[in-house]
Amino acid sequence: MRDFLDAGHGYDEFGLAAAAVDRAARLGAPLYERYFRVDSRGAERLPADGPALLIANHGGTLPVDAAVLWLDVLRRTGRVLRLVADRFVPRLPWVGVALARCGVVPGTLQDLDRLLARGALVAIFPEGVTGTGKRFADRYHLQAWRLGHAELARRHRAPVVPVAIVGAEEAWPVAVRLPLHVFGAPYLPVPATPLPLPVRLRLRYGAALALHALPPGPDLDDEPAALEAAARRTRAALQQLLEDTLAERRAAHHPAGRARRGAAR
Amino acid sequence: MSGAASRVLVTGATTGAGAALVDALLADPGTERVVAVSFDSSCRHLPWDVRLTCASVDLSRPRAVTELLAGPARRLGVTAVVHAPLRRSLSDGGPATRALTVGVTRALLDACDGHPTIQRLVYVGTAAVYGDEPSTPRRRDERCPLAFGAQPGWRRDRVEADLAVCCRMGSSSTTLVVLRQAELLAPGCGSPLWDYLQAPVCLRPLGFDPMLELLSLADATAATRRALAADAGGVFNVGGADVLPLSRLLRLAGRRALPLPGPALGPLYRARARMRHGEFRYDLYAARLHVGALLDGARARRLLGYAPAHPLRWPPW
Repeated sequence: MRDFLDAGHGYDEFGLAAAAVDRAARLGAPLYERYFRVDSRGAERLPADGPALLIANHGGTLPVDAAVLWLDVLRRTGRVLRLVADRFVPRLPWVGVALARCGVVPGTLQDLDRLLARGALVAIFPEGVTGTGKRFADRYHLQAWRLGHAELARRHRAPVVPVAIVGAEEAWPVAVRLPLHVFGAPYLPVPATPLPLPVRLRLRYGAALALHALPPGPDLDDEPAALEAAARRTRAALQQLLEDTLAERRAAHHPAGRARRGAAR
Repeated sequence: MSGAASRVLVTGATTGAGAALVDALLADPGTERVVAVSFDSSCRHLPWDVRLTCASVDLSRPRAVTELLAGPARRLGVTAVVHAPLRRSLSDGGPATRALTVGVTRALLDACDGHPTIQRLVYVGTAAVYGDEPSTPRRRDERCPLAFGAQPGWRRDRVEADLAVCCRMGSSSTTLVVLRQAELLAPGCGSPLWDYLQAPVCLRPLGFDPMLELLSLADATAATRRALAADAGGVFNVGGADVLPLSRLLRLAGRRALPLPGPALGPLYRARARMRHGEFRYDLYAARLHVGALLDGARARRLLGYAPAHPLRWPPW
């Protein structure tokens, strides 16, 4: 398995285990291929090795988008994507362990620095909980946008690849957010449906952005303006990618589009 | 070995770690003198060597510390002190343990400051002093916050002692070094994990399988010797060669694991301790059995030249 640095007993320092990755890939295959019928394009833009940051939109009751992105990257590149989770996630019983075995890491800057320094492929959802907590009417409209990914990209000179995930924000919408902080979670989501709906998921990888090529500041810590500019750039790129993918989906469902497909058959 | 570390005074010389350090120092022909300090006369069980001086001192009396350093240590020209506030039994608690941990450390700091021969004090601490907040990274470096909110007991005593040394850095005439060791899995070293593994059936929190970092006695000794020989002072994480989840550790140690809900473990272990006089205290170790912690040893590698090189042999007894 690529990107796996064994700490000595078959696990990496964050708990990733090759056997768990294989098992998760096998269990996720039917969901990927038949339930969500994932349509992925542009994965060739991901680097074959070396560090890179994937940034994507986030939504839904539970991170179906993150799981599908992880499966897609594994199937198309053979690399294990290190998904960044909120800090309360590793403290969830069973869930925390299962996710750690598949490479999910907590969102602390020092841990991500270590991963990128070792050339890992890291996925960040800059919207964070504001993304999963957004109203259904705000789906695919990027919410609060954090700067951490920009800082990491500049520090490690890692390319940033925007990934638009269309379908996940409708597959399992949140009906109610209860103000219960179970295991430190910001709220307890109540889904609108008992299970995610079989919405077709589209993944589109955009052109890589070289944030480290932006004008440098005198010191990384003293360049908040540069970081904000870099983060605005990634947000704009991802929002445009989302709009393009949504337009592509609308065109595919348009009667003219259906007629063209029928003629092609 | 440099001149600053050729005449060494070792406290706790008859604990597992202390005895291993004394052996390693005596095995080095560059060592001129080792003063092995123990609470009782068990020091005589150390292998005889013409360079070895044994001293039976009750360090819990501050006056005893002053007399030791102003007397025999000065007379023998001791240039470095290694102080490891380890207790053979973790279940010891209360004012007596606190006096040995915090009080002795402060007394040693006072006595070493301005001492005519002592140039270096190496405090061998534990990484258990780090806090366990959700914002704490998995790999903790020396800048991570300490567990200031720890309950009174073993861990809080360690935090206070560690802090006492750190606060003197820069103002003491002695070069101060703090080593924050990963979990030392060895007998007679006050290791909570060692006590945990003594039972054939180990209770563990249901739904959790934390990553642990384990340090062998050989690596602990090597790190202390590096700290004695180096010129740099400051705080250093001492990592171990074994990084593995709790479930794997239990399998390698030949123990059966019984997962139970976390809140049940404290009362069960207290009951077990009362019935079978076990050493393990769940309340002192609960965080580690839920959320693992590893150390970033980059600073020790860079300034002391230390990197873990001796994995544990399984089972470790």
